[in-house]
Amino acid sequence: MRDWMAIAAGLKIELDDRMKQTLEGLDKTMLGLRGLIDWQEEPVVQSSVLPPEDDAG
Amino acid sequence: MSPAEMTLIDAARALRAGQVSSAELTEQCLSRIERLNPALNAFLTVTADIARAQARQADEERRGGMDRGPLHGIPIAHKDLFCTAGVRTTSGSKVFEHYVPNFDAAVVERLREAGAVMLGKTGMHEHAYGITCANPHFGAVRNPWDRERIPGGSSGGSAAAVAAGLCLLATGSDTGGSIRVPAAYCGVTGLKPTFGLVSKYGALPLAFSLDHAGPIARTVRDVAVALAGMAGYDRRDPSSARGHAPPLLEDLLPPPAVASLAGVKIGIPENFFFERLDPQVDNAVHFMAYRAQDLGAELVALRVPDGTQLNVIAQVTLLVEAAAIHEPYIRKRRKLYGEDVRTLIDMGRLIPGVDYVQAQRLRRRAQGVYRSILKQVDCLLVPTTPIVAPMIGQTEVAIDGQTEDVRLASTRLVRGFNALGLPALAVPAGFTRGGLPIGMQLVGRPFGEQELLRIGAALEDATGHVARRPEMAADCG
Repeated sequence: MRDWMAIAAGLKIELDDRMKQTLEGLDKTMLGLRGLIDWQEEPVVQSSVLPPEDDAG
Repeated sequence: MSPAEMTLIDAARALRAGQVSSAELTEQCLSRIERLNPALNAFLTVTADIARAQARQADEERRGGMDRGPLHGIPIAHKDLFCTAGVRTTSGSKVFEHYVPNFDAAVVERLREAGAVMLGKTGMHEHAYGITCANPHFGAVRNPWDRERIPGGSSGGSAAAVAAGLCLLATGSDTGGSIRVPAAYCGVTGLKPTFGLVSKYGALPLAFSLDHAGPIARTVRDVAVALAGMAGYDRRDPSSARGHAPPLLEDLLPPPAVASLAGVKIGIPENFFFERLDPQVDNAVHFMAYRAQDLGAELVALRVPDGTQLNVIAQVTLLVEAAAIHEPYIRKRRKLYGEDVRTLIDMGRLIPGVDYVQAQRLRRRAQGVYRSILKQVDCLLVPTTPIVAPMIGQTEVAIDGQTEDVRLASTRLVRGFNALGLPALAVPAGFTRGGLPIGMQLVGRPFGEQELLRIGAALEDATGHVARRPEMAADCG
């Protein structure tokens, strides 16, 4: 598990117990979900190239 | 007839028939706002002069033979995150407290071109980042059914204004339930359209890939009319979808006879959506499902992917995107943020980039699974929220013997559909014994709004829940 207090301290963010618990919960679920990822597929379409702008809209 | 007793369609018919003018309707709404808004705080800004001028113009156009359609002359309100030229747009925040845009958001522009009259801007949860509308800068928005309760959020001012009959339509935005939750808590109808169907140009963003703009009104047909006015491709919005026309109003209007739902398959999830509900919500939503069956629909029991996991995918996406959007402001103007929003933005700054990317891969996988489910059925019928409107200031709620954070409880049945981008229509499903509204949602295929609206309208006709109004709205005249 990640050390959320240390990560927060590095960014000078004050972390209370409730925030820490939320982040731990998200982290735990995300870790569990990695088993569902298809590692062969393209990660995700992050960017696409558009044709030159069509002024006609 | 007062705006509290009218639907948008009633008003449109009366305008067309010359039974009322837009100026008269607008004055009635302004008068109701003056009397009721101090108790509700639904409007942050009232643009009476603009409204009167637009109403006058609508009446002149109509006298001259011009008819812009069913929204021509209808008094409406905009959530205060849609930019309005020359009118302050705060996003419910101190950061934008004095921001006066010099342009209109796409939905404002489109509705204006359709002839709608702008009454003002509605209150909201700060930066649209929450569901209580307990705004630390502008005060709490209150629920017309019980002023000690939240209206839901973040589009709480819009839903409260429609429920109290202060306007006939209001715009909203939905990033994790912000149209549907207030629709449920205020007993009105709200649509989160398919991602890309309604342009977000000029809407102050919360999360690029989760934000949706949509209408809140009293009835399904009112929402259909509004959607027709709002939807359509807009090249100024990179996420705007080409080639998807808004629903055909002719199929929804006129209403009276209850439509058959023969041939419609409605999915009722056996897992997640009906777990840990207030029993009155459970009963009301099941009753709606049986009404659909009475109208000829086939109810299909099915299992859906774990909604808790999908909610985590949506939460990671929201936390990171919101942190990215607010980065320039939170660094320099940290003290201008309310505590709950500041906390969420701080958490978003801590989530590793790799988690965000994995969330997008998992999101795409979930979209594929839901695509398969929605090949088996025409839509899903599920509760909007597991509870009814909580009290202002309430932070926890006990459901089925378990204590849950009010914010998480309010969003757990809606949030996933933002990540999936699917259309979700929130409609009234009844009332508790204490008279508080209960909501349900119909969730459909991408760009399947037409089918959702048709099913929603049939159920609305069959149940008549929308006829019931908050006492304060009726008392006001």
